[in-house]
Amino acid sequence: MIDAALSSSGAQVVLATSSDENYPPENIIDGSTETFWISTGMFPQEFIIRFSGTQKIRLVTIQSYNVKNLKIQKSTFSDATDFEGIIDKEFEHTEGQLQSNDFALNGTRATHLRFIITSGFDHFVSVHRVMVEGSSESNL
Amino acid sequence: MVKLRAKCILVGDAAVGKSALSQMFRSDGSHFQKNYSMTAGVEVLTRTVHIPDTSDGVELFIFDSAGKGVFLEACEKLWEQPAVLCLVYDISSEQSFQNCGQWLERVRGHSQGQHVPGVLVGNKTDLAARREVESGLAQEWAESQGLEYCETSAKEVENCEAPFLILAQVFHQLYQDRLQAIQALA
Repeated sequence: MIDAALSSSGAQVVLATSSDENYPPENIIDGSTETFWISTGMFPQEFIIRFSGTQKIRLVTIQSYNVKNLKIQKSTFSDATDFEGIIDKEFEHTEGQLQSNDFALNGTRATHLRFIITSGFDHFVSVHRVMVEGSSESNL
Repeated sequence: MVKLRAKCILVGDAAVGKSALSQMFRSDGSHFQKNYSMTAGVEVLTRTVHIPDTSDGVELFIFDSAGKGVFLEACEKLWEQPAVLCLVYDISSEQSFQNCGQWLERVRGHSQGQHVPGVLVGNKTDLAARREVESGLAQEWAESQGLEYCETSAKEVENCEAPFLILAQVFHQLYQDRLQAIQALA
């Protein structure tokens, strides 16, 4: 199974609304939960992951801390337009350990996923890893 | 280097000088409004504060909120998830100090259980001859509520930056603390 949301698989974070140079958004797709991206204040916060080509996505897993509400949207266009909502979820508060949430997407096609954090359990939230299980579809 | 963003709710009774204080801060002491103009609803002002001894900054989004009760409901809609609080009273008005507890409760009601650092500001120190609230008393109350304390005169450009610098520093420290906690998890 490939993780399509890895920088080594050609994925990129093309937008992030917070940037502390010590905790860059690339940390979300580096395959490690030890490194993370942190929001630097106020809500909403968001980031967009671009895959190398179109993916048929089975499962999205996000590991985070203090995220309260998360919305996920997808785009099927190469220029990251016309996002449509696919997930809207309230997370549980986990004290002292990372949140891990799975979303089964049944082969949804996407070129980009946009993650919007509309609220948090704290002023600052962190995202440690996003994993996207799926298979690459050649661009038609 | 990082630039943090903080939503700062500015409240207190009508005519204690909230708008004067925030405008003096934003204009770096160059703009004191001589005529009173009542704020209806919320006015948002922004300014970035540099944190001493670091290359970091905090961009404050100051939500200057109307003090008149009639606007309260409209204001409160915009107070969701506050980061920091600036609570102002007029040192020549005992009543404006008495009402601080209520203002504090209102804002904390929107914090969803999160810690919201704050500062209590006694404004209009230029009216010392008509002072009704002793500094010591105000400071004691501030401490009992977990607030920092300072006194200012927007009119005489005295200490106007202090409350906002305090808030920026406290928020920056909170960020450092959270970073450490998250690093320990990972």
